[in-house]
Amino acid sequence: MRKLQLLLAFLSIISLQAQDFGHFSGGFVSNAQWYQDDTKTNSVAPQDQFRANNYFNLNYNYKEFSVGLQYESYQPNALLGYSPDFKGDGIATYFLNYKAHDLDITAGYFYEQYGSGMLLRTWEDKQLGVNNAIKGIRVKFDATDFLNLSAFFGQQRKGFELSQGTLQGANLDFDIANIAKLDMALNFGLSYVGRYQEHSNPNPAFPDTVNAFSTRLDFAKGDFDGKIELVSKGADARVVSGTIFNNKFYKGKGLLFELGFNKYKYGITTTFRRVENLNMYTDRLAYGNAYGALTVNSILALTKQHDFSLPNIYVYQAQSGLSFLEEKAGEIGFQVDAYYNINGGYNLALNYSKWNGLDATFDNVNETYKTNGFAFGEKYFSDLNVEVDKKFNKKIRASLGYINLFYNKGKIEGGHGTVKASVITSEVNLKLAKKKSARFELQHLSSKDDKKNWVAGTVEYNFNRKFSMYLNDMYNYGNDDTTKQIHYYNVGAVYAKGATRFALGYGRQRGGLVCVGGVCRFVPESTGLSMSITTTF
Amino acid sequence: MRKITQLAFFLALIFAFKTDGGNLPKLKLKTIKGNTIDISTLGTGKKPVILSFWSTHCAPCLRELKAINEVYEDWQDETGVTLYAISVDDQSSVSKVKPLVKRFGWNYEVLLDTSGDLKRAMNVTNPPFLFIIQNGKIVYKHTGYTTGSEEDVYDKLIALTK
Repeated sequence: MRKLQLLLAFLSIISLQAQDFGHFSGGFVSNAQWYQDDTKTNSVAPQDQFRANNYFNLNYNYKEFSVGLQYESYQPNALLGYSPDFKGDGIATYFLNYKAHDLDITAGYFYEQYGSGMLLRTWEDKQLGVNNAIKGIRVKFDATDFLNLSAFFGQQRKGFELSQGTLQGANLDFDIANIAKLDMALNFGLSYVGRYQEHSNPNPAFPDTVNAFSTRLDFAKGDFDGKIELVSKGADARVVSGTIFNNKFYKGKGLLFELGFNKYKYGITTTFRRVENLNMYTDRLAYGNAYGALTVNSILALTKQHDFSLPNIYVYQAQSGLSFLEEKAGEIGFQVDAYYNINGGYNLALNYSKWNGLDATFDNVNETYKTNGFAFGEKYFSDLNVEVDKKFNKKIRASLGYINLFYNKGKIEGGHGTVKASVITSEVNLKLAKKKSARFELQHLSSKDDKKNWVAGTVEYNFNRKFSMYLNDMYNYGNDDTTKQIHYYNVGAVYAKGATRFALGYGRQRGGLVCVGGVCRFVPESTGLSMSITTTF
Repeated sequence: MRKITQLAFFLALIFAFKTDGGNLPKLKLKTIKGNTIDISTLGTGKKPVILSFWSTHCAPCLRELKAINEVYEDWQDETGVTLYAISVDDQSSVSKVKPLVKRFGWNYEVLLDTSGDLKRAMNVTNPPFLFIIQNGKIVYKHTGYTTGSEEDVYDKLIALTK
């Protein structure tokens, strides 16, 4: 709290001196839940039934300078399913930035990404409870209009604390098309990231520093575009649930390749990726933690992301780590996206992805493993998505979708079993008189595995541009255990005006993985009243 | 209680200052064509500029951009507006941006905010989020999309360019 007061005083001084100058901006996000016991789902409310995650951002700009902070409060604890590191309140991040001409200097907390993020990506997602900003110094320098350089060092954020290990990095982006005066886009990139963490391990070969590099090339010409990225990571110790194995050290690597040809009428894009033991953390002991804390890079699933609720029950998560126990060394696979605009306003889209483990053999005695090049190992996931969209007239727009998926639950979530399922989705949007509109969704998931069949629906009615109400339900009617044939219903209202949105709802949250943008978080089943406020100013 | 008074003081301090009409941050983003655009140079004149934050897997975002696309030419003729569609897709879906834009035949300038730098700098929580910029200032903000709400944006554009 004293920090906040100091900062307040600091800001008041700046603002008083800069009467007519400078500019404040910021935002506020509050997600609160009042948990209730639910005899139907057997979920018991925590002792502190009311919980809220609050984020308050304030930025101030004055000429070339900007300062900002993020104040976070988890009262009295964070929402269920979030990392226990998020507890209490305080200034979580702050920065001072100077930007002029070709120079950009940041002191304090910042977010950084090199290339696709396979080497380095620090980011924030309030819904997932991920924030691994780096605290340190970063300098960016645009040397010429075809050469951009940047470098940083610092520690990574974990809750309200910092990582034990430190990170350093450097990046170079070179615009080849610009210097060679080519009639196309052609860029080359080179990056480095290093992690240093002290250790007291008796093995003299035990690495305190892990260095990783990436090179990339991307191009675009006419209807074609593509990119390639290669990553290699130096040898690091193997850690399983906080236990360090100190005999053998393992390197990692990654390859991403993408090629697309897209016109208005039709198009196709394919992505191929192979990653092996590529997970990197600022603290080696954080390896494999459930909350995505202290991750240096991010390797996200390359599959279609769904906004319907049923296909989100079985979502693939990239398997980029090394595990002797589960006999996993990484993943290999591809994704294809294609579309075709049929005469008559029908818009057809197709997506297929297939992800397998690496074909690897493990020698548990000698603690070694061997992968078989680009061979596909055990299948982890595949899905085929077909989607048709059509606007019938000024008032009606509708879409229909079909998904067929395979989900290796054992390999993705741990445990045993695989799931085959097909899902049908449909949506209708209606524009009604006098600023009113409505939206309907109907989905069905059929499967002979796991929790079997589900049906789900949504009705949304917009009374005007500002106020709407919704009702949705997911019903696991096919569950073999009749006591688990549960309605996960939600009913609520949303009021949005300008940059402010207020939502109130009541209902049941399905337990399991909740995924945002290919990253998943495990949440327990819960029931209760939820409130959310977001605003920016 | 002490905390509440502090917070109240804090908020009063902010609102004592004009928080509207801020400038755009000095940030460079790539377009899907591979060019680089400095955000702070957008909408500095009388002609309005729309910045619309979206992602390929955000259903209301797609509904909004599809709806605007159907009237975009009229909007341009009547108000001289240019729309910059800022994709906040991360690495898991950024490869779907260009195909999707072509598939729906959008004539917007499409920018890639893959690392979320602009989203953070402009305090955007969730897409869809729409700004109108004129004379270098933010003159309108709107979060969310419901069918037909693009008409409100049109009304605002007309009012701004009268």
